[in-house]
This record gives sequence, C-alpha cells and structure tokens, in this order.
Amino acid sequence: MKQLRIDMSKCDAGRNCNHECEEACAIKVFKLKDREHAALHIRELADGSGQAILCDQCGDCVVVCPADALKRNKMGAVILDKELCVGCYTCIGFCEKNAFERNPDWVIPFKCISCGICVKACPHAALEVVEVPTPDYRII
Amino acid sequence: MIQVNGDPLEWTDGMTVRDVLTAKRFTFPMLVITVNDHVVERRAYDTTSIPDGANVKVVHLMSGG
Amino acid sequence: MANVYEGLTDYPAFHRAEVNYKIRTEYLEHLQEQRASHKLLKEWTFTPSLPEKGYTNRTLYINVGTLEIQEKEVTQQMKDIFTGGRGFGMWYLWNAVTPKTKWNDPENEIIITPGPVSGITQYPGSGKSLVVSLSPQTEIPIDSNVGGYFGPLLKFSGFDCLEIQGKSDRELIVFIDGQKGILRVEDAPAEPVDSHVLAEILTHMYAESEEDRVNISVVSAGSAADHSLIGMLNFSWFDKRRGCIRLKQAGRGGIGTVFRDKKIKALVIRGREVKGDLNHPVDFETIAKTGIKLHKELRENDPSMCLMRRNGTAHIVEIMDAYDLLPTHNFQYGGHPEVHKIASYVWDQRCTQRTTDGCWYGCSMACAKGADGVVLQTGPYKGHMVTVDGPEYENAAGLGSNAGIFEPEPLLELNFYCDTYGICTITWGTIAAFVMECYQRGILNKERTGGLDLTWGNWRDDLEMMHQCARGEGFGLIAGQGVKKMKEMFIEKGWGDPQLIEDIGMENKGLEYSQYLSKESLAQQGGYALTNKGPQHDEAWLIFMDMVNKQLPTFEDKAEALYYFPLWRTWFGLQGWCKLPWNDVAPRNNHLTAEPAKIPEHVQNYLDIAGAMVGKKYTSEDMLLQSARVYNFQRIFNIRMGKGLRIHDKAPYRSQGPVTKEEYESRQERYEKELREQVGIDPSTLTLEEKIAATRKFRTDRYSKLVDTVYTRRGWTLDGVPTQARLKELGLDVFPEVMEISKTHGG
Repeated sequence: MKQLRIDMSKCDAGRNCNHECEEACAIKVFKLKDREHAALHIRELADGSGQAILCDQCGDCVVVCPADALKRNKMGAVILDKELCVGCYTCIGFCEKNAFERNPDWVIPFKCISCGICVKACPHAALEVVEVPTPDYRII
Repeated sequence: MIQVNGDPLEWTDGMTVRDVLTAKRFTFPMLVITVNDHVVERRAYDTTSIPDGANVKVVHLMSGG
Repeated sequence: MANVYEGLTDYPAFHRAEVNYKIRTEYLEHLQEQRASHKLLKEWTFTPSLPEKGYTNRTLYINVGTLEIQEKEVTQQMKDIFTGGRGFGMWYLWNAVTPKTKWNDPENEIIITPGPVSGITQYPGSGKSLVVSLSPQTEIPIDSNVGGYFGPLLKFSGFDCLEIQGKSDRELIVFIDGQKGILRVEDAPAEPVDSHVLAEILTHMYAESEEDRVNISVVSAGSAADHSLIGMLNFSWFDKRRGCIRLKQAGRGGIGTVFRDKKIKALVIRGREVKGDLNHPVDFETIAKTGIKLHKELRENDPSMCLMRRNGTAHIVEIMDAYDLLPTHNFQYGGHPEVHKIASYVWDQRCTQRTTDGCWYGCSMACAKGADGVVLQTGPYKGHMVTVDGPEYENAAGLGSNAGIFEPEPLLELNFYCDTYGICTITWGTIAAFVMECYQRGILNKERTGGLDLTWGNWRDDLEMMHQCARGEGFGLIAGQGVKKMKEMFIEKGWGDPQLIEDIGMENKGLEYSQYLSKESLAQQGGYALTNKGPQHDEAWLIFMDMVNKQLPTFEDKAEALYYFPLWRTWFGLQGWCKLPWNDVAPRNNHLTAEPAKIPEHVQNYLDIAGAMVGKKYTSEDMLLQSARVYNFQRIFNIRMGKGLRIHDKAPYRSQGPVTKEEYESRQERYEKELREQVGIDPSTLTLEEKIAATRKFRTDRYSKLVDTVYTRRGWTLDGVPTQARLKELGLDVFPEVMEISKTHGG
C-alpha cells in the first residue's frame, strides 16, 4: 500500500520553511483556509526537534467505523466514504497517532489519503510516498 | 495487623498492595486504593509496600448497568 | 411426554472464533409471496421532519384496533415536567388508562420514546429508547430501556414518541416510511413471528436497496411471547459487516406479551440516512469534543478496565464469582467451581472480535458482542447456523450459573431461543432457577412437570421447557406465567411448604429479580425492592459500595444512596442514554477525585451534552429535579393502579438472608459473627434452626428500618406515599389527580 513517510533529518519543522506540506494539503486537497487543519502536522517541539504526525494507513479506523465507511482504495490507502459517514468520530478517537482530522466547520472528518501533494510541496524533499506491505487489521 | 476497608488482615513483612488484593480476592479492575490516605497508582501496586498497622482503603467503582 | 433430547451426546466443544461471520442460515426464500400476501388496511401520510434542539415536538399515535392515526403536539409542560424518554411514556400512559385498566384491555398502550439526546452519534451509548406499558406481570407501569436503531430513526422521521393503543383482530405490521412520509398498516398473515427470522425478512422486504437496509429497524417479539406473561420486545439493526440483523431487547416486564396480545406482528421503520448532526443541537462543538474525549478514553482504558469491547458485559462473570456474588442455584450461593467454563475469557474467544459491535452508531464501548457460526442443537431451528447476540452478564449468570448450567454452547442456545422467542433472559433465568430448586426440594417432580427432569444443570430440559412455552403446551406454559403465579399455584395445590415457596421465589411486585445476589447487602436489598417497576438493578447497584467498600455504614448513608442513585440512573432514561459508558470505563485520574464512585468527569460529560443539546447549562440539581419529577409521578401512578405502597415493596427472604440450612452453613462464619456482634447472641448456645430464625428476625427488622429511612429521605410517608409537600416541591401539583391520590393515601 502507499504510505506517507518523513525523514526527520531533512525536515526542520518549519525553522527553514513555511510548512508548505501542510499548506498544500489543507488548501489544495481539502480546500481549507487554515493549515492547522491539514491531514498531516509538523510541529516544532520545545527542545528544538521536530515532530511529525502522519497517517500511516494502518487500518485501525477501518475496524472501528460503525458505518463501515472506511475502506482501502486500489493503492491501499484508507479512504473515507462521505456518503456513509455518520459523523461519530470513533475514527478520530481510536487513531493512536492522532492522525485522523476534524474541521469544526464540517460534520464529516477527514484524513490523509497518501496522494503525495505534500511530497511535491516540501522544499527539503523530506517527505515521500513509499510502497509497503498492507498490514492485517488488528483487534482493537 | 492492617485494616482493609475496615476489616482486619494479617500483616506480613514486605506485603505489597498486590498481595492485599490477592489475599482479599479483589479482582475487580476499577479500583481506587489509598494506604494511610495516600493514593496508590495502579502501576505501583506490585511495588508499594504496606506498613504494619496501615489503614488501607480499596474502593471499588460501580459496575453493572 | 417424550423427551426429544434423550440420547443426544456431547455438545460440540466451542472453538476459537475464526469463523466466517458472514455465513448463516437465511430465511428469504418466500420473501415475494410474503410481500404479496400483505393487504393494506390503512395508509396515512405525514411530513417527515428533523428535531430542533433534540425535539421534533411531534408524537405519533396509532390505534391498531380502530386504525385511528394522529399526530400530537409535544407541549412545553411535557418537556418541563417529563423531559422525554420514560417521562413522556409515563405521561401518555397515565392519560390512556384508568385505575381499572388491565394490561390486556385495549386502552393499555405501548409507548416508545427516545429522548432529546437520543440519536447523536458522537457520544457512546446515545441511541436508547424507553418503552412503557402496563405490565402483565406487575399490573403497574413497567419501563424498559432498549438499544437498536428504531428510536433514533423514529425521531429522524419526525416523531419524539410512538404511542400504540387498541387491539387488532388480525396480525398487523405497521410500517413507517420516514423518507417518504407514508405510514401503512398492513394485514400480514404469512410471516413467522420469531424475531431472528421476522426481522431479517422485514428488513429485506422494506429496504429499497442493499444500502437502504441500515435504515430499517424492526420491533418484534416471538412465539413464546404469545403463550406467556414474560414476553419482551426485540429492536433490530442491520449489521453491515456481518450482513445480518442484530437484536437488542426491551426485556423486563412482559411488554412483548402486550404487543402480541394486540396482535401486532411487527413495527417497521424506514428512516433517512443518519448523519452526525440531525438533532440540530444548539452547541454541536461541545458534543463533538466530549464524544472524541470518550472515544479516546475507551481506546486507552477499556483494555485494562472492563474489556467491554472484547467481552461485552460478560467480563464480570468471574469477578462476581470471586466476590461470592454470582447467583448460583436460585440465588442460594455466590459462586461455583465450574464458573471458569462460562467466564469472560471464554466469550473473548467465542465472540467475533475484528468488528465493531455498538447498538447505535458511535458507541465505541460496543458491548453488543455476537457469537457467529452457532449451530442449533434443539428446537424448531435445529441444524440452523445463526449469530447469537450475547451473551451478556445477565445471561451467563441467569441462564447459566443460577440454573447450574456451565456449558458455553448450551448457554448460547438458551440465549438465542429467548431472543427469537421474544422472552426476557433475566426473567427466564430466575424462572428456571426457581423451578429447578423446587424440583430439587420435591415441590416439583416429573409427574408435576410432565416429564421434564429439572435437575440443576440440565440445559436440555431447560430448553425443552422453553420450546414448550413457545408451542403453548406442557409445563413450559406454567413456567411462562412467571415466579409469582407459580408460587401461588404451587401453594394452592399443596405441593410444598408455603413459607419455603414464598421465601425462595425471587420476585418482588410480580417481576423476577435480576442476576445479582443482594443477600448480604442491605443497601442492595433496598435497591431491588424499593424500586418503582420491580427488582431490576437499573435503579441502583450498590453492592460494592455497601459490602466491599463499606461506604454506607449507617441507615442514613444507605438511604442517601437509595435516594441519589435511582434518580441519577433514571435520568439516562429521560435523555435517551445507555448507562454503561458512565461507569464501565473511567478516566485515568478518576481515583483522585472527591467522589470517585460517581465518576464525576463522566457526570459532567452528560450534563454538558444534555445542556449543549437544548442550550442550557445543567447542574446536578437540575438533573435530580428532572428525574425526581418522573420518579415520584411513577410512584403515584403505581398507587393509582392499586399498588405502590409499602406492602408491595416487601421482598422474598431469599433476597435478604439464608432460607435453608445449606445456605446458612455455606456462610456460617459470617452469620455467626453477625449474631455475636450485631444481635448480641452467642451462637454456640443455639441450634441450627434457632440460629437461622434469629438471623432472619434480625435481618427482616433491619430491612424494615431501612425502608423507613429510605421513604423518609425520598419525601414519602412510612407507607411509601409521596407527600403532598414533596409533590408540590417538584411542581407536580399542577395535576390535581396526582395530589388527590397522595392525599387519600395519607400523603
């Protein structure tokens, strides 16, 4: 499956960039005003290091969705079907990486779909989409 | 001798919170435990030893809908 | 009478559930003919609408006898005094019946009400409805809470409440299409009444596509509800992953019997697509944030707390055994060496895990576990492969240890047949336990049972008794009358010592006790017997607080708990909530709060969400007031129906202390300590009979004192009547009849 990955040795968490990855995701993909609500987050921590919150398409949200609205697409990325979604946010609550997103203006949540636009936008080429084996669904 | 929820229990040297739970068959998973009014966190059950004469409270939260 | 199970050998050992949960026997081969056999009796149109701030402000009334259908308005008074859920149900029932109405008169109603919060998807446990009716067992109002999709879909079709009155002379299906705004009453002779078949057929019949199946919910009972007083209602939902219907129950009190007596085969709702904001709350953001907070809490803490997502409520089977509280052999004992065979780790293996089992969207506590690939060994569906909903704790304790049955697959089968036959598992568990003890003590024998060998643990004959009930014949028909009527019958026929029979028949007000041992907990004795509806633990579960934590040492402490907890717990049923997410998981820092047993952060969650729905700021005082109005109204209603007084709150002695020698001896040390320290008697000077009698006197006197203290705390007279002062305080003095009832009974 297609999985978004980051090389933290190349990413400096915004010290020498404008969070182009989050901007591209928020504005181009989800048509949001604000990079705060992008489907990935790069944060600078107090000790100067960076932290990346990315969806790794693990599939936990697929198991817990009561509407069966989350499925893997042909590329193995987990996609939310907005028609089926009932806005319960179990996906957000059960994502251990805190990578499932919510915009307060919308009832339907959203997530990274491994589209790669952030990869192109990053000036340090810190992000890439790689092909990895699709994991089994866990019991959670 | 220690008190557990007001009942006497034989004290042994090195007795831990876990030992008290085992002795009383307190298997319920949602407990609030104090030893002489100090709260004992769950991760410390095996390592917290209980002094002789201690007043131990093992409050079980409710269950059963 | 031949025993069809003679010669059946070993039950197949249960297996690790890697079963294909999509496979089961199907029942759709006659769907076209069944659809064609329906005759339209009446069609009624309405404008579908959505709630505003949690209320649609409309209710739907259907008379299945006259076919009168009308809409009613939800008045401000209804909201102010009754809030919703059980409150609306009690109000409509009060207006529908007179003091002389019997449960099987056409005037009796079945009222299904969600609540203002019901139908939100963000907070676990937010899809509940309350069902209210006059109970065939207690002859006073029963209120029963239930999950499944019917309530929320009813609300999202336009109605806060469904009122059903009258009696039909032919089998009816009422179909409410909340997408098109059409209600149809159909003469429906063809379909079988057993729920696992009927709900599947009707879900496929009324859905207009495969995707539409999740918008259908069916309310139905079953063939045992036709022949007993203990019928319940199943509320279905469609499980997409499994591809089958699942069932939750409005179990207690016999509402399924009323339903079938009205000749209703099913209620079917076709709702619109569910989305997260259909209740149009004032403050969606608070609801969303609080819901996400609880989802996270469940993800992090459930695995080390109650394991609800893995085992459902069956996680407490082995815990109750460890605390000597698991009802065994008709509530004689608190545990058994074979409990491990039906303990939670068994169900962890047997129930399917890699799916999500909430009975309404967004419940991540998801305790409605299912066991798939169960091949039935007995009865009309022998050989069929089915999915069994459960087992819940009540089933493992009631159908299992209380009857001495410790085999998991037979337990699943007992559970399954109760569900499809439309009878309450808690009730059947206590009934089976009672008849088995009667059989053990010679009150019953093979001649009197028509050949059934009701020895402890004989699940085959327990199942046969249930099948007899479903067929309407044999001893099963007697069992289906319930413990109270059986006690009367056995005493009248002179089959045993009347006092013993009274003592061991675990019912209060006509309803069977649920599956917790109150024998050593004075607080729980009150928690069961001082209820409005009968001994169901939904009002109060105080055993740990009382017996283990020793937090209720005085009568006043117990009375305070028996004042507060029934009101707090009633509130869930006014708003449309399930209680389990309140206390079957707790925040990590709960132990540091002032009153951890109340789970204060969760109480605040509920107050926040209920307030966010309607645009108010709720405090605990508001909550208590909302509940106290309905609670006291219900008590007055009981008195109006000829019961509701102190004499009706008396409890069988088995619920309070040791009836028999074996019981006394099984806890001898405890009872002798009590005699020494609390009664001031030296037990070594007494015979066994004298010790039992002294214990009995002490405990019954003590219970009486508890009753005095609780009534006083609740603002009731010593006869259990809410005083006029209390009623006025609650604002119930707007109802002259309510005040009059209090006055004439010394309130």
